[in-house]
Amino acid sequence: MDKDFISKEQKKLLKEIMEANFVLVETNLYLDSHPTDEGALRLHNTYSQRYKELLSLYEAKYGLLRYTGMSGCPWSYINEPWPWEINFDVI
Amino acid sequence: MNRDYYYERRGEKMLARAYVPIQIMNQVYSPSEALKKGTLFPELYRPYKAEKMDIGGGGFYG
Repeated sequence: MDKDFISKEQKKLLKEIMEANFVLVETNLYLDSHPTDEGALRLHNTYSQRYKELLSLYEAKYGLLRYTGMSGCPWSYINEPWPWEINFDVI
Repeated sequence: MNRDYYYERRGEKMLARAYVPIQIMNQVYSPSEALKKGTLFPELYRPYKAEKMDIGGGGFYG
C-alpha cells in the first residue's frame, strides 16, 4: 500500500496526466523530424489540450504538480504523497 | 577536428554510414499502452528478448 494514502481518483488522474504527457514527448520527437505531418500535428494538439485540462483539474483538486503553478495558502506544492511514494502498479 | 581522436585516413573506406529509413506515422498505441511500452509507435516497439538465442548468438532482438 502507498506510504501515504492516495485516493483511487487521484492516482488515476495522475496516471492519465503521465500518459498524456508521454504522448506529447513522442509526438514532439516525431514532429521534430516530420514538421509537416498533419496527422501528427492533430494528435499533438489534441493531447496538448487534454494535458492542460487534466493538469489544471489535478492542481485545483490536489495541489500543485509543478512549482510553476499558482497556489493557495499554504503552498500546496509540498503536499503528500511524493511520486516515489506512490505505487503505480496498483491502480 | 580534435587532433587527439582524429587520424589521417588516406582514401580508406568510411568508418560507418547510418541508414535510417524515414518513418511514416500510421497507427499509434493508446496513451496507456504507449506509456507501458515506452513508445507511441508500434513500428518502433522492439523489446529485448534475452531468452531466444539464435545461431548468430546475442539473440537480443524480438
